[in-house]
Amino acid sequence: MTMTRRDFLKISGAVGAGLAVSSLGIDMGPVKAYADELKKIDKMKTAKQSTTICPYCAVGCGLICSTDTKAKRIINIEGDPDHPINEGALCAKGAALFQTTADNTNRSTKVLYRAPNSDKWQEKSWDWALTEIAKRVKATRDANFIEKNAKGQVVNRLEAIAHVGSAALDNEECWPLVAMMRALGLVYIEHQARI
Amino acid sequence: MAEGYSILVDTSKCTACRGCQIACKQWNQLPGTKTQQLGTYENPKDLSFDTYKVVRYSEGANGDGKAYWNFFTEQCRHCLSPGCMAAAEKDEIVQDEKTGAVLFTPATKDLDFKATVEGCPYNVPRQNPKTKVLAKCTMCFDRITNNMIPACVKSCPTGAMAFGERDKVLDACKKRVEELKKTHPKAEAINPNDVRVIYIVTDDPKKYFKFAAGK
Amino acid sequence: MTNHWIDIKNSDVILVMGSNAASNHPISMKWVQKAKDHGAKLISVDPRFTQTSAKADIYAPLRSGTDIAFLGGMIKYILDNNKYFADYVVNYTNAAFIVGDKFDFSDGLFAGYNAEKRAYDKALWAYKKDDKGIVAKDPSLKDPKSVFQLLKKHYDRYTPEKVSEITGTPVPDLMKVYEAYATTGVKDKAGTILYAMGWTQHTIGVQNIRAMSIIQLLCGNMGIAGGGVNALRGESNVQGSTDQALLFHILPGYLKAPVATQQTLEEYIAQSTPKSADPRSVNWWSNYPKYTVSLLKSFWGDKATKENGFGYAWLPKLDPGQNCSWLNLFDAMYDGKVKGFFSWGQNPACSGANANKTRKAMAKLDWLVNVNIFDNETGSFWKGPGMDPKKIKTEVFMLPAAASIEKEGSISNSGRWAQWRYKAVDAPGKAEPDGDIMYELMVKIKGLYKAGGKFPDPIMNLKWDYADEKGHFDAHRVAKAINGSFTQDVKIGDKQYKKGDQVPAFPLLQADGSTSCGNWIYCQSYNADGNNMARRKKDDPTGLGLFPGWSWAWPVNRRILYNRASVDLTGQPWNPARPVVKWADGKWVGDIPDGPAPPMADEKAGKYPFIMTAEGFGRLFGPGLNDGPFPEHYEPLECPVPKNLLSGQFVNPTIKIFKGEMDKHFTCDPRFPFVGTTYRVTEHWQTGIMTRWQSWLIEAQPQMFVEISHELAKLRGIKDGDKVKVSSARGELDCVAMVTTRFRPFQLGKLTVHEVGMPWCFGWITPKDGGESSNLLTPNVGDPNTMIPESKAFMVNVTKA
Repeated sequence: MTMTRRDFLKISGAVGAGLAVSSLGIDMGPVKAYADELKKIDKMKTAKQSTTICPYCAVGCGLICSTDTKAKRIINIEGDPDHPINEGALCAKGAALFQTTADNTNRSTKVLYRAPNSDKWQEKSWDWALTEIAKRVKATRDANFIEKNAKGQVVNRLEAIAHVGSAALDNEECWPLVAMMRALGLVYIEHQARI
Repeated sequence: MAEGYSILVDTSKCTACRGCQIACKQWNQLPGTKTQQLGTYENPKDLSFDTYKVVRYSEGANGDGKAYWNFFTEQCRHCLSPGCMAAAEKDEIVQDEKTGAVLFTPATKDLDFKATVEGCPYNVPRQNPKTKVLAKCTMCFDRITNNMIPACVKSCPTGAMAFGERDKVLDACKKRVEELKKTHPKAEAINPNDVRVIYIVTDDPKKYFKFAAGK
Repeated sequence: MTNHWIDIKNSDVILVMGSNAASNHPISMKWVQKAKDHGAKLISVDPRFTQTSAKADIYAPLRSGTDIAFLGGMIKYILDNNKYFADYVVNYTNAAFIVGDKFDFSDGLFAGYNAEKRAYDKALWAYKKDDKGIVAKDPSLKDPKSVFQLLKKHYDRYTPEKVSEITGTPVPDLMKVYEAYATTGVKDKAGTILYAMGWTQHTIGVQNIRAMSIIQLLCGNMGIAGGGVNALRGESNVQGSTDQALLFHILPGYLKAPVATQQTLEEYIAQSTPKSADPRSVNWWSNYPKYTVSLLKSFWGDKATKENGFGYAWLPKLDPGQNCSWLNLFDAMYDGKVKGFFSWGQNPACSGANANKTRKAMAKLDWLVNVNIFDNETGSFWKGPGMDPKKIKTEVFMLPAAASIEKEGSISNSGRWAQWRYKAVDAPGKAEPDGDIMYELMVKIKGLYKAGGKFPDPIMNLKWDYADEKGHFDAHRVAKAINGSFTQDVKIGDKQYKKGDQVPAFPLLQADGSTSCGNWIYCQSYNADGNNMARRKKDDPTGLGLFPGWSWAWPVNRRILYNRASVDLTGQPWNPARPVVKWADGKWVGDIPDGPAPPMADEKAGKYPFIMTAEGFGRLFGPGLNDGPFPEHYEPLECPVPKNLLSGQFVNPTIKIFKGEMDKHFTCDPRFPFVGTTYRVTEHWQTGIMTRWQSWLIEAQPQMFVEISHELAKLRGIKDGDKVKVSSARGELDCVAMVTTRFRPFQLGKLTVHEVGMPWCFGWITPKDGGESSNLLTPNVGDPNTMIPESKAFMVNVTKA
């Protein structure tokens, strides 16, 4: 199910910085340079709008992302006026959500590996990393799997691998994680709810 | 000039969520500046060419020993007779007829900054030290001329900020002050006839911010 | 939450305690304000005068860790002054239940305490039952062994004077709060409680909430609009992640993790399924077998058969009493027992109590997999302060993940609303959605086990068809699996379902393997009607703000839990002005009723309203918890007073106390004379690992600080803005002093106690001068039921740096 383009933010007015300004009777001269700053609003008019829910506290406020589909970048994120809980309002964190996008060059964008005793990261490929992790999961599990406990009862569990996380994942990611970790035999499964 | 828009800021409802301060940065794509913890939640410590809106925090203890913590989300008042325009000769500063928004154009780089700031009763205009262009709140002119409300007003969860036609805002302001006076006899609207951004306070404006009611 | 965010507008009295909602759930104040607009009163009880306090009609200070004393006083006030809602209490709570003769309470201990095991034999708290197995009752509430009389007796000691001497709350302030809140004990007034970690992060955390639950039941506030017990949860999907059971002790839908003494599915089901002899009790958990079998089918698919116990043997089993929760997890890791570690979307180096122990523990791992959207103190622990990379052998894999707007899926807010959200753009660089990462990883693990290995069955048999035709992780497939489907053609009643049809809702789940369901409480979220979590209808037929067509709430889109307690025995709302449900023309209208059974006046078919308890009644007396059936005040493990003024039992007698080299704690130690507490700020979130990388947010809240009173500042010669050192038995950090009127010393009888507070959103990785996490100071001791650490009350020192 794809999100069809809808006007969650009902921005009116014609496209074109010049038109938007001069229609209000302002002398074009001195505000022409200012009109350049209206580029954002113009971009907003042709942007693809999609809804999202804030990733921070658990109020569950709605937001609208405006995406420049040509540049494939989000250009604005603000509150969803139709959302019954926040009605378009956002606190500091939600209002800053734009800074979680690719616009923030601090985002982790590389697969990194730190070797034993090393003081630096090495860049790796996904395939390498996931293959190596899978190998270690198997090695640790095979070497430490507990089939029976001290009383001779079948327990089929693994205490040598632990997992924490995450309350920041979607339901459709949390559930497979649980299935996966239980299938591996983990019992040390925890996350933010515990602290 | 009684037409145009106004913003009502009812500080009795403000919880200092800082949504307004950040929403302004987000809409205007202003950079975050380097700040320090100076013993207060307030940051940045002042308006600047990169910061059009700052939430001011003011705390103390009342006569009965009870603590108070007042929040004042400072911004340009968009005065009806802008003092900043007094020093301008041409159209460096524009007051839009339809909305009442007071706008600094790039031509403000040629203005006498000191005189402009002194002309402003609220100490609002700031300058980009490199380009000399002046900057302040634009009343989200691009938004309000395109069927959208200012970013700060939209982000406010409690309705502390409201935006609308000036006569309606003045009505709402009057009603709210009357209501607040029942429990807060010192409640007042600050200079509602002179400014488009009208603050309601429930105590002496100086207990909110030194320039809350002007210099 | 039993209720939900918008419902707050329906309250008449809003108590915010153990929470600073204005700062940490800011948009909740929209609904608090709406309630105030129609005359509601906001009460803020907090050690510190916060942003919430600044908007409150009543503020009362209290020393961190003394909430049960405070609330116990309120219970006494309500009972002594007959402020409870009598009809509600008699008919819907266990007030009339007779407790068995073995129950006792003396000098801080309940009957059945074993000092060696530090545990109770809860059998001594059992109700008195007749020969049919039905609990004996005294509706007059006069029997001295009735829950009601035992409750009265228990809280008799909690006089305002005694409470004040413990909490440091002046008696007039106590009375103001008690009087205001007790006004909700009538049928047309609603009181709500908004609480958060200020209540849960204590060694008496669960009992804090129990105390308020007692108050809410006494006042008739459960199940009504504007009432409820409302946890303000801390993360966008912590409700969902808890529902999906990313915790050692549960399986999806709050099923219990199996134990070694339950070797077969039959034993597991028999021991997990509660029984009730009372035909008027719905005892909804009696459906346990259906949910268990359906879950197993969702894990193992066709490989789960009746013959192999639906794959029950493939699930790991705990030893009886084995506790693998967070504090024990990192203790085991510190002891070198954990070799491999996934830190997936979490930052334990800053979020775990006693963070120094956590960081050192990770240095003992063979390998660590860190999945996150930014660099963080956990993935980079090996180059953190005090770490020598040359000596640390841990291999670390940093996997870049997609941010929330770069993938599609649902998250569940605190009000149980599962809301679908959409992908706006692809993730940058090599970052991938977490779903893709876990999907690929398990595919590779399965590939390796194809060739053999230890006990490959659960891995090879795990149903893992969650990719689309292109091989990309597909959230819709998972959502549908969580909702569940029929594994074969099934006829239920006169309706024929085909194999593969989505199950409409959980009443249709079966125990014979004919249904598969990943999480029974989410059954109905994505069924034949479509993705109900993505709905955006704005209808609000009751006017109460339920919005039944917006997203989808569990269970079965019920917006207010226990709502059959919001009506009288004939099914008419206690308060007709706020009708949540109403029995009219032989059916319920309004919210989805909490059990479709008719009202209790129907002698044949009527059922008790609290359907998730075996008895069917709300519990004033709660015999299932580890530390007692009534909340009792005990001091925090680290506290500033020499004794407990309410009993001879100093701290919670059932807590686990770690005794390792990293597990230090000191009480009444002059080196750590001040009470320390932790909290959040609006501008940052949790450890700050997302927000500290954002310039707009770090500009607004740049550096670590400690809030101290003017009195304490004077004592230590500290000025506002000075650099100070805060230390505890477990660690220390430097930060900026914020000298404020909003903390005042507590007067506890003749003793003056200072309290200080810190946010926990900073960490060494960024900004470089930002400061460290206050979890370097917090104690690794937890509540005996949940093992949530006591991060809200411990002892520190503050000195000029």
